[in-house]
Amino acid sequence: MTTDSRKFAKTQDEVKAYLGKSIQEVMEIDGTVIRQYCECIGDPNPMWKDTAPPGLVTTAMISSGAMLIGVPLLHKRSVAGGADWEFFKPIKKGDVITTTHEFSELQDKGSEKGPRLLMVYKSSHKNQKGELVAVSTNTIMNF
Amino acid sequence: MAQVFFDDVKEGQDIPTLEKTPTRRTLVMWAGASGDFFELHYDKEFAQSLGNPDVLVHGRLEAAYLTELLTDWVGEKGLVKKVSVQYRGNAFPGQKLLMKGKVTKKYQQGGENLVDLEIFVENPEGKKITPGTAVVALPKK
Repeated sequence: MTTDSRKFAKTQDEVKAYLGKSIQEVMEIDGTVIRQYCECIGDPNPMWKDTAPPGLVTTAMISSGAMLIGVPLLHKRSVAGGADWEFFKPIKKGDVITTTHEFSELQDKGSEKGPRLLMVYKSSHKNQKGELVAVSTNTIMNF
Repeated sequence: MAQVFFDDVKEGQDIPTLEKTPTRRTLVMWAGASGDFFELHYDKEFAQSLGNPDVLVHGRLEAAYLTELLTDWVGEKGLVKKVSVQYRGNAFPGQKLLMKGKVTKKYQQGGENLVDLEIFVENPEGKKITPGTAVVALPKK
């Protein structure tokens, strides 16, 4: 059966009301997480045993959590517009990463060509010592 | 893989290309690994209802491939500092994707030997579907 997990708003103000809302999630980086990530992308690099590949930050800690804020979409179609990651410290096996995702910006880029909303999510990732290991920004285009 | 050193890097040089062919299975694995269960990436009927010919490869999976391109190049003693991408086009399962990078600048800053790169994912038609930039740090000899 085809499902649609998205939630829709009727007005832009309804979407705007979510600005500043955040959510936190915690992930324990064990050997399984590192192995599954490497298997998934097909990265055979032997370096990824006790150190997690920086690309791990692009997956588990980012996408699901930011979406769990539950910001509704206004228009039918949505795609990822772009993303930035800054890595400050390697993530090690055994680290417990706490990520805070925030719905931080809403830009109306609509024109005569049609509606277009840019929804910007910012996330910060800290380890169990409270050290910032990475920050990321993800932009969703809704049109 | 041999370690690359800051001393040997030249502005304008290409870094070794990384090749990947993500399949439907890869997309399902990625959905599980990332927690991104948006139907656009595994339900063809849903993807078609939004005007796409097939399910789409996750943009973040392409970003992960680009990060692997960089970690492969910088080696054990290098570090990937920043990755930035824009999703400009779609990739579909079964397509051969080429991850490529070119050195745009090398400089020293804050005690680090930094290299800026232009990076991108090229689809089978030769189009840069996911262009971006990166900053890496490399060891000196």
